[in-house]
Amino acid sequence: MLKADRNEQIMKVAERIETEPLETEIENLIQMPFGLLGFEQVKKYRLLASPEEAPFLWLQTAEDATIAFLVVSPFLVLPAYQPDIPDEDAEFLGLQKPDDALIFNIVTLRENGGTVNLKGPIVVNRHTRVGKQVIPTNATKFALQHPLPVMAEACP
Amino acid sequence: MLVLSRKVNENIVIDGRIVVKVVRVDGGIVKLGISAPSDVPVHRQEVYDEIHRNNQQAVTNGRQPVPRIPATVPQLDRPRIKRAALQPPKFIPPK
Repeated sequence: MLKADRNEQIMKVAERIETEPLETEIENLIQMPFGLLGFEQVKKYRLLASPEEAPFLWLQTAEDATIAFLVVSPFLVLPAYQPDIPDEDAEFLGLQKPDDALIFNIVTLRENGGTVNLKGPIVVNRHTRVGKQVIPTNATKFALQHPLPVMAEACP
Repeated sequence: MLVLSRKVNENIVIDGRIVVKVVRVDGGIVKLGISAPSDVPVHRQEVYDEIHRNNQQAVTNGRQPVPRIPATVPQLDRPRIKRAALQPPKFIPPK
């Protein structure tokens, strides 16, 4: 598959992971000039999507793969999620319109599932693949540890 | 720590490129205006600390087994970006 096609594909998959099932693992480079908060020195990540792990994706250090963050679309856990991106961040990322942005939130794996950080979304410009962990101006409205939905027990 | 006294509307210059201005002082709340180049992230410390700590907890050494969550159809809401960020300032011709 052509590189451009693959890039296009992961962006689509990341967006509507349920409706476009994956057949093989795909990946995409994401540049984060500021790194993630607390990981400022790490600026290059690979975004990995595999069929077994959907709807989750992995954001993994490009060089050695030792640092990895599990991420998920926030709209799967909170459909009404609407972070207000500060003007400076929109400008820095080159976002001209809301459609230019792709949003992931970091999942913390815990014993009984996990939690999603809705206070610090990772916003990526889908065209340039430059991203940043931003603090929305309305961050206080969102939970730092929003519980992942739990799988209901299978019916007998 | 360097401690400076400033009046309202007075500035502090840091490194020749960051300007901190005292905008308003009102009942124990100090409003600061910060002008910094776009490569200087500026955050309120409490929020920064929270997210920093959460990132430290979330990081894993390579890929781990992922939990299963119920399938739902995602709703494609978009982030709100203030219009001011999207449009160049309007030029008002002199009369």
